[in-house]
Amino acid sequence: MLTTEALSVLSIFSIVVVSYFVLWNLAQMAMSPVASVFLWRHERRYTRRARALVDRLAAPPLVSVIVPACNEELTIAESIRALLELDYESREIVVVNDGSTDSTLNVLQRTFQLVPAPLAYLQPLPTEPVRGVYRSLSEPGLIVIDKVNGRSKADASNAGINAASGVAVLIVDADTVLEPDALSRAALPFLEDPKLVAVGGNIAITNGSRIEHGRITDVALPRSWLARFQIVEYMRSFLLFRLACAAVNGVVIISGAFGLFRRETVIAVGGYDRTAIGEDMDLTIRLQRYCRTRRRPFRIGFDPHPLGWTQAPEDRQSLRSQRYRWRRGLLQVFWRQRGMIGNPRYGVVGLLVLPYMLVFEVLGPLLETSGCIITLLAAALGLLNWKYFELMIGVSVLFGTASTLLAVLLSDIATHRYMRGRDLMLLVAVSILENCGYRQINSWWGCVGTLQAITGKGGWGVMKRRSFESER
Amino acid sequence: MSEYYLSVEFVNFASRMFWFGAILAATMLSAVILERSVYGYQLIRNQRLKDRYFPYIRRALDGDQTATRALVKCPPRYRLIIAEFLITPLIDDRDPVRIARTLEIVRAMALIPTAERLLRSRLWWRRAVAIRALGLLQARKQTAAIIAALDDLNPLVRAAALDALTDLRDPASLSAIVVRLQDASLHRGRRAAALSAFGKQGEPFLLDLAEIDSDHRLNYARALMLCGTAIARPALCRWTRDPRPNVRAATFEALAHTGLDEQAAALAIECLESAESSVRAMAARALRGWSGSVNAVPNLAKHLDDEWPVAVQAARALESMGESGLAELRGCSSRSDLAGILAKQILWEGRARC
Repeated sequence: MLTTEALSVLSIFSIVVVSYFVLWNLAQMAMSPVASVFLWRHERRYTRRARALVDRLAAPPLVSVIVPACNEELTIAESIRALLELDYESREIVVVNDGSTDSTLNVLQRTFQLVPAPLAYLQPLPTEPVRGVYRSLSEPGLIVIDKVNGRSKADASNAGINAASGVAVLIVDADTVLEPDALSRAALPFLEDPKLVAVGGNIAITNGSRIEHGRITDVALPRSWLARFQIVEYMRSFLLFRLACAAVNGVVIISGAFGLFRRETVIAVGGYDRTAIGEDMDLTIRLQRYCRTRRRPFRIGFDPHPLGWTQAPEDRQSLRSQRYRWRRGLLQVFWRQRGMIGNPRYGVVGLLVLPYMLVFEVLGPLLETSGCIITLLAAALGLLNWKYFELMIGVSVLFGTASTLLAVLLSDIATHRYMRGRDLMLLVAVSILENCGYRQINSWWGCVGTLQAITGKGGWGVMKRRSFESER
Repeated sequence: MSEYYLSVEFVNFASRMFWFGAILAATMLSAVILERSVYGYQLIRNQRLKDRYFPYIRRALDGDQTATRALVKCPPRYRLIIAEFLITPLIDDRDPVRIARTLEIVRAMALIPTAERLLRSRLWWRRAVAIRALGLLQARKQTAAIIAALDDLNPLVRAAALDALTDLRDPASLSAIVVRLQDASLHRGRRAAALSAFGKQGEPFLLDLAEIDSDHRLNYARALMLCGTAIARPALCRWTRDPRPNVRAATFEALAHTGLDEQAAALAIECLESAESSVRAMAARALRGWSGSVNAVPNLAKHLDDEWPVAVQAARALESMGESGLAELRGCSSRSDLAGILAKQILWEGRARC
């Protein structure tokens, strides 16, 4: 009797899992035409001549580049040097030393001839106390704010936004390697459209690539399979989901690694939330909410070109703690903004983007993990229909591979990265192999992250960082 | 125990999904391979064409007629690619000699009729490409066609037309640009760039239009920030009495660009007491560098404790007014409040510049 009931539960569960898989993959496929049209239009809109607009303007608007830095002694000097070489002249760089316990501040002082200097500014956003302000004698556009550690990147970013004098603020991670034209590319939509409140950029992974003097000089796939899996994950996330969201003005995540915001709007929404775990998504959704609630014409843009490059964790421990944190951040944002989900007042974000994320990102890992566990149990109890199991594995791998290859195709069109024949073979292998273990581990980490979010446990985690020179 | 039961329909559905997935994955893989092959082919072809035609292009640009003839004789299928090699560098290199020689070569290659044909294309991106190319080449015979493109149905073609007129710098197009200053469908930055390209040539048009179109005075004041000179000052002085605060603020910003005379300075000092902080801030900004007989220092010093944007502009204006302004800042710098820190900052920046 029990067995009959167990079998019928298994049958129903199988149908749910299969339907979920098919639905998820079809959703990915459905995004592709939207993302492709957006990409195509973007390529034709931001031509090389269009990008030269910045040079043709008598006085381009001042952009403040804000670099929150906490224990970044290995990369900070190279990062700042690279920022100083950005091709957008009208910019200032505000580095916020967020109570580093290593020699980040000393490195900055030594490299850029910093001296204590007075700097007057209003502080509309609350932050931990500022200990001192330094300005560079060699680089007039460089300001360093030394503050007490706020235990969040949000606090440091807010301190930078307070001190910024630009009309727009570019928030970048201290270890983000920017393309020389990243700022002028991102600033261009601001010059064109007064309704624009923020622009996000495509973020690529530096692992495996050669970096010289803070610039990417050769792009290649890394040796680590974990990093390779993350590369295709980033492609899917940035070139499928975010492009599709951008096409309908529904961007809900601007990566913390690179985001350009209109300063006055960020201040109007209260800046970064210092209690938010996923502060970048939290801010972007609040911007959406703020503008949509006020029925104010606005736009949040996205540039599909790789504007910034960031290090991906290559060891399991760092990756795991990153994924736990991302998961807690996602759930926190969804809980806080639950009133937006399915609410027509918030337009495409309320009716389409957030429900999609709820079903496929919030619930996805739980369903996937329970699917795996039940399959294992069924196999252990001898209840598994092996023929059906093989079929399902095949469907899962093939659909997963197809959606990853679609992202690779869009990435090729937008960026032409990893173009060697060997890279293509590796990318195909990665898109197949990620379905055989990596996705399942990720889902498991998602479940643990969910548990942490419910119980209120878990910290920021530590990622093993390397200096840029040791990238390859 | 037996395996769990699944309906035949469901298993059939899963099988169909399997084959659908297989076809989808194969299609995607083929698409990736095809895209990469096309891209690779284009790279190789362009490199070959560069290797073959760049020496001719270089020599033709130096005035070698034999090289120009060699370019003219190139197979028709390569002409557009060679045109791209010739024209693209003009985006960054606006050397008039190079532009004129490129135009000569392009004319000799009979590419202007091709561009004219593309201007009439039904595909908007082709029209945009042709417009941009003609602008970069400063093909003034096509100015009228480019001006007409400012009314194209596609906004990106209109944007390309504005870019082209910026590059063209044909005075005949100036009135068309000025008239479209209010056209919000044209990108804001591009409108500013187009006006900046003509410099003070745009000023008379702006002043004439502003006389008959006071509703859009804000835009004219903003435009005069880019190209205004002393000629615009009397009009700007009149506009400082405009009832709209944003117009008054923009007017003072324009006066900061044109420079002040005694009358304008007196108006700026008067408006330092305006009820709107934006007007006070821009009035303070206009006074930056003022060294006439009317002493603005005491009036500006009072505003170091004003709202933040006004205080910043006042402090910067004081710094620019020589010893008397600096003395006010030094006096204020002993204070520990925000105004004191601001004064210290301005004095520090002055010393650092020295």
